Amino acid sequence: MKDRQAVGNYVYTVSRLRGMENHLLDSAFFSRLMDSSGIDDAVKALGETSYSQWISAAGNANNFDKAIDSEILATCEELKSFVPDSELLDIFRLPYDFHNVKVLLKGLFKVRGGETEGRRYDLISKLGTIDTEELTNAIETEEYGFLPYGLTDLIPQCWQLWDQTKNAQAVELLIDHQMFKAMLKVAEELNMPDVIQWVRNKIDAENLRGAIRLARMKYDSAKALPFFHEGGNIRPDDIAKLLNEPVETWSRVLSYTDIGAVLTALQEQGDIKASLTDVSKALDEYLLKVLEKAKYSMDAPANVLLYLLTKEAEARNMRVALVCVAGGLDREFGRRLLSNGR
Amino acid sequence: MLGLSLALFGAALAAALAGIGSAIGIGVAGGAAAGVMTEDPNKFGSCLILQALPGTQGIYGLLIAFFVLNKLGLLGGAGAVALNWNQGLQILASCLPIAVVGWYSAIWQGKTSAASIQMISKKPEAMGKAIILPAMVETYAVLALLTSILMLMGVQVG
Repeated sequence: MKDRQAVGNYVYTVSRLRGMENHLLDSAFFSRLMDSSGIDDAVKALGETSYSQWISAAGNANNFDKAIDSEILATCEELKSFVPDSELLDIFRLPYDFHNVKVLLKGLFKVRGGETEGRRYDLISKLGTIDTEELTNAIETEEYGFLPYGLTDLIPQCWQLWDQTKNAQAVELLIDHQMFKAMLKVAEELNMPDVIQWVRNKIDAENLRGAIRLARMKYDSAKALPFFHEGGNIRPDDIAKLLNEPVETWSRVLSYTDIGAVLTALQEQGDIKASLTDVSKALDEYLLKVLEKAKYSMDAPANVLLYLLTKEAEARNMRVALVCVAGGLDREFGRRLLSNGR
Repeated sequence: MLGLSLALFGAALAAALAGIGSAIGIGVAGGAAAGVMTEDPNKFGSCLILQALPGTQGIYGLLIAFFVLNKLGLLGGAGAVALNWNQGLQILASCLPIAVVGWYSAIWQGKTSAASIQMISKKPEAMGKAIILPAMVETYAVLALLTSILMLMGVQVG
């Protein structure tokens, strides 16, 4: 266990992040971006932001997805150069590794099922910690020995499950279970209480999102347990039991937890389909709030994760705004989807 | 000779502990200043003032060390005065307030300065407030300095 209490360990890092926070885009900017008449107008508005270089590099204004990913990747690389514990960045990037594993496996499932267009390399994200080419080679050549985060054992298990059930959703669930287990393990090895608590809350948030989806499908609570991940503050058993209760009462049932208050949107809106979007947004904001007390510390390592999540929220807002502008979609609906990143 | 040794040990403690505290405090504040200036080099002036604040304890420690050396007649070449162990112990005790308070307050002032540097990185207009916060810590270093001076003035030697 490293000594993380040494004076000044994270002072430089947090101070630099404070400076970087000044360059984050605020809600007023996104509001202006939403008012753009077209994608060219929006790209012009992005001219003075750090995104402009990536949009120029992408060559095509409509290829903004790639530009947004490049901006996040560049942020991760910059942080890697001065954050003392790169594992903090791994916690943020690790879900992208598991996303890539899902994409590659699903592609191979299709190919083995006889579909010629199975592989979707375009969906692979460069934001993961494992080099995408190495990961692709490892999965395609079935040489998983060097893969981290328990993937060495997980991928053969996925194949076994696929061969037995041909159920891609079950495989995805197995991958998600391992992802949260790996995130918690990395956080516990870092021995940073705020970060561990954030991971536990993230697991709770994901379990609650899953529970709302299952409630929408009127899923039987007795069969729901395998859908929930271990490691959160709320036991999977307790979340499964929620399915026996009307969704309007979930906030009250979970009133003993901090995350329970986020579910009040379910109480206020009768329509569970409409409220899923609001609850999902509220859960994302809650996860940022869990880390926000680090803002008042001049050397709390959790500030690194907080900055990355705020940047990710900014990228999400950018994607929403540009999709709305490029597709000529309803701007008011788009504004509702924007989260309060900064 | 024991008296002189105790008195010199006191002077050494005052200069060394307060100096170590200041070095740590300035180091912490310097780390914060470097972080902020990496993103905005124009904040050098404000950062420098805040970084310098924890340095005063080291100066106070040095001041007390000079005071003691002067009292012992070791400055100016006149030769050391004769001290018994009791007088030496009194001088050593007089040096302790600035040695201990200087050490700790400089470290904490460095942390407060670092926090203030982070504050001006987001709100440059709050420079005045940013200086006041670490300056509050200074109060106790000044009180310790006064205590050490008053105690030393009360010690009869020679």
